[in-house]
Amino acid sequence: MKRTLILAASALALAVPGVYVAADDALPKVESPPPVRISPSQYQQSVADIFGTSIKVTGRFEPEVRDEGLMALGGRKVSITDTGLERYDDLARTVAAQVIDAKHRAALIPCTPQNVKAADDACTRAFVTSIGRLVYRRALTDAEISRKVKAAGDAANTLHDFYAGISAVVADMLISPNFLFRQRDIEPDPAHAGSMRLTGYAKATTLASFLWNTAPDDLLLKAAESGDIHTKDGLKRQVDRMVSAGSMEGGVRAFFSDMLGFSDFETLSKDPNFFPRYTLKVRDQSEEQTLRTIVDHVVKRQGDYRDLYTTPNTFLTRSLAALYNVPLVELVDNGQPERWIPYSYQPGDPRAGILAQASFVALHSPSGRTSPTGRGKALRENILCQAVPPPPGNVDFKFVQDTSNPVYKTTRDRLTAHRSEAMCAGCHKITDPIGLALENFDSAGGYRTEENGAKIDTSGDLSGVKFDGPVGLAKVLHDDPALTSCVAKRVFSYGAGRAPLPGEAEFALVQKKFTDSKYNVLELMRQVAMSDALYILPAPKTP
Amino acid sequence: MNLKRMLRPSSSVLAAGALVASAIAAAPAHAETRGYVVSWFATATYSQDFKNNCPQNKNGGRYGNSVKALMTIGYTEEEAVKIMATQDALLGPEYMKKIESRARVNGKPASIYNYPEAVADPMIELSSGKYAFGFDLGSKNNDAKFEDPETHLKVDNQLWRAVGCVESFKAVAPDIPYFEDLTWHLMIDSAPAWAFQVTGDDLSKDGKVTVTFDKTVQHLMRDASGNVMTNATYVIDPSPRSHNVFQGEIKDGELRINSGNLYLEGELPYYTEISLANTHMRIKQESDGKLLGYWGGYTDWKKFVYMYTARGGINGEDVVGMYHALKKLADYNPDPKSGQNQMISTAYRMEATTVYLATTDGKIIAKPGSLPAPAAEKVADK
Repeated sequence: MKRTLILAASALALAVPGVYVAADDALPKVESPPPVRISPSQYQQSVADIFGTSIKVTGRFEPEVRDEGLMALGGRKVSITDTGLERYDDLARTVAAQVIDAKHRAALIPCTPQNVKAADDACTRAFVTSIGRLVYRRALTDAEISRKVKAAGDAANTLHDFYAGISAVVADMLISPNFLFRQRDIEPDPAHAGSMRLTGYAKATTLASFLWNTAPDDLLLKAAESGDIHTKDGLKRQVDRMVSAGSMEGGVRAFFSDMLGFSDFETLSKDPNFFPRYTLKVRDQSEEQTLRTIVDHVVKRQGDYRDLYTTPNTFLTRSLAALYNVPLVELVDNGQPERWIPYSYQPGDPRAGILAQASFVALHSPSGRTSPTGRGKALRENILCQAVPPPPGNVDFKFVQDTSNPVYKTTRDRLTAHRSEAMCAGCHKITDPIGLALENFDSAGGYRTEENGAKIDTSGDLSGVKFDGPVGLAKVLHDDPALTSCVAKRVFSYGAGRAPLPGEAEFALVQKKFTDSKYNVLELMRQVAMSDALYILPAPKTP
Repeated sequence: MNLKRMLRPSSSVLAAGALVASAIAAAPAHAETRGYVVSWFATATYSQDFKNNCPQNKNGGRYGNSVKALMTIGYTEEEAVKIMATQDALLGPEYMKKIESRARVNGKPASIYNYPEAVADPMIELSSGKYAFGFDLGSKNNDAKFEDPETHLKVDNQLWRAVGCVESFKAVAPDIPYFEDLTWHLMIDSAPAWAFQVTGDDLSKDGKVTVTFDKTVQHLMRDASGNVMTNATYVIDPSPRSHNVFQGEIKDGELRINSGNLYLEGELPYYTEISLANTHMRIKQESDGKLLGYWGGYTDWKKFVYMYTARGGINGEDVVGMYHALKKLADYNPDPKSGQNQMISTAYRMEATTVYLATTDGKIIAKPGSLPAPAAEKVADK
């Protein structure tokens, strides 16, 4: 069937949804879904997978936008600014320079030019054809290949350097919308006359992004090229292969980083006068600690998701162990990066579970004091998918911020005084009873039992269930149905690019399978990956 | 003199250390043990009263010592001052080469830093003040003793008498001598930490304790303020070479040890080791849980002065003058043949930070925690 993709003239306009106009006038106009800007971690992982982990991606990315609790959804609504384009250009040139350097060229370029001081079209064509398919997540057309071979040849002949030409074409591909955006092209669906579907490449790209947080590998692209990915069995083969592959760890990390709001680590700092053990290294390690804990529990042990909030098992470095005030014996040579050592808390230890880790209690606290409200809000919004209204514009923080007030020694005292103002009380009832349960952890994540000489009261309640302390909170949270329904909703949204609709059958099925699997997150991701929700197109507009 | 000889650990100290190591007694099962690393230490200076300590004020700093150095190679003072007006902070190599090679060994020019004894004693000014930090090490010469400004007891600290008027030792606590400060903070990230354990039946109150010093396998770990991180875990180096056990007592919140010999191997450019005979220590807990106090004892004066001669008096010290002063004032362990004392009384100010200590097999042998607060603070608490 003849079709034409209508595109704007500028290269970046490829990010704009295309419209297929079928030659058959009986077919409706169908807009392809908007492309999705790849995230910084997807950019980095794609470069690592395509060119190898020794290629360093150094530089800044366009800021991400959170939408409905996920950056992954925000990525569907953003384009690239002029400044961002310059950043991507810098990144692309940096990567391209490494690809052709003496250390990498032999491994990454599949041929040796006849003359290193001039163009070699045949060698360039071989390189562009193989690498281009991985970078663009689809096979390049002959016209695209010819254009890139010519551009590389012009550069090589002008600069008298074959590899300069290769570098130019690599940089060109990495700045292309075909790389920076996940294109979701559509085609007529032969199984359903008159309907359109995502192309095999678009499906493969969606799957790789969702499960591996990267570009499709060769096998996935082959499944797209053969059409295997369009069959239920073919899709299942790919999903099963991907879920059991080592790259799944990257996908799980990316999802939980997004869900738990770890992008906020970039701007997190603590007052070194109050929290000297919270170094920059500790900040970075605290994020990694939680991701390691999650990967170990979810991927390696395939444990019950709810147990993440009570598990005594984690990983520590010497620096983190000092922050948490636990001993950790490390015999690695001095000067080497700190090793991650498995660590298990004793039963009943309040530091068990990921809520007690600095990635939660420190991430959701201001620089110099704790914020039960901020922690409670984060728990409600990020982990239970419950909305917390924003504070009014004229809120008075005089009690909350006065940490040296001799009358209000503990944060609970100060918040109680703050809540006496009617305009504040409503929202704080939602956040504070759970946030106060974590008051045993200071702003940096260190454990404490007193504040300003007064014993800390960590009692609270969640959904009407009373508890005491972080251990009690974790147990109540563990048994709260909102915990599992929230992660199911987030995984669904993360994969499908939209929140589940009320009563949506696809989501109900995903939830059931998740429950049946005893809350195995890999099974949850597998079900979402198999769900039509990832691949279904918006309803066609009537002419 | 052969400098290699100067670098050898004192044989008497080493022998004593080995004896101590072989006599380690296991702590009682019910005992509790606190762990610390030395977060900094330095020569204990008392420069609050520099005018009385050094009434002549004749040693000078970098400039004054450069003028004097020029005079040692034949310039008049007037000529030296004129030369200095043409120089940067340090004398140029055309002068330094002559100054540094003015020692004579077998009639040939030799380095004053390698052969300071082959240069005439310039008679630097010695500290004649009343006060110095330290301990009474039992010397018989009462006239040579200082008074400790904190304990007001007579103390032996002839090292302070030798260097107390040297410009770079002019430091009032909490400041510490410039080069000890500089090199400590430059090097602690790449030098094994020194640790000690305090073991007692009940460390919430005064009583008898055992204090065990060791070198650790790890370097010191810093916190976000650049200080030593509290509550990190260090593994004790299993080598007995730096293992030292002392009996002691906490009284009125002050920890003291019974005297003995201490040897801690190091990798710092200045203090390559801590080697003290007749070691004393007194230390108290500060409000932040760190310990602050003093070590004292007799140390090898040649090793001390080598820290300066090896660097050519980089901060303008008259190292030849320091060499002769330390040699003259050395007050312990005479050489059987020459009668020259090989060690000199001294004191260090030091701070210790709470940590976990472990053995190489992973056993935690000491934890962070508190020691009894000093009596004055207990009163204040009430």
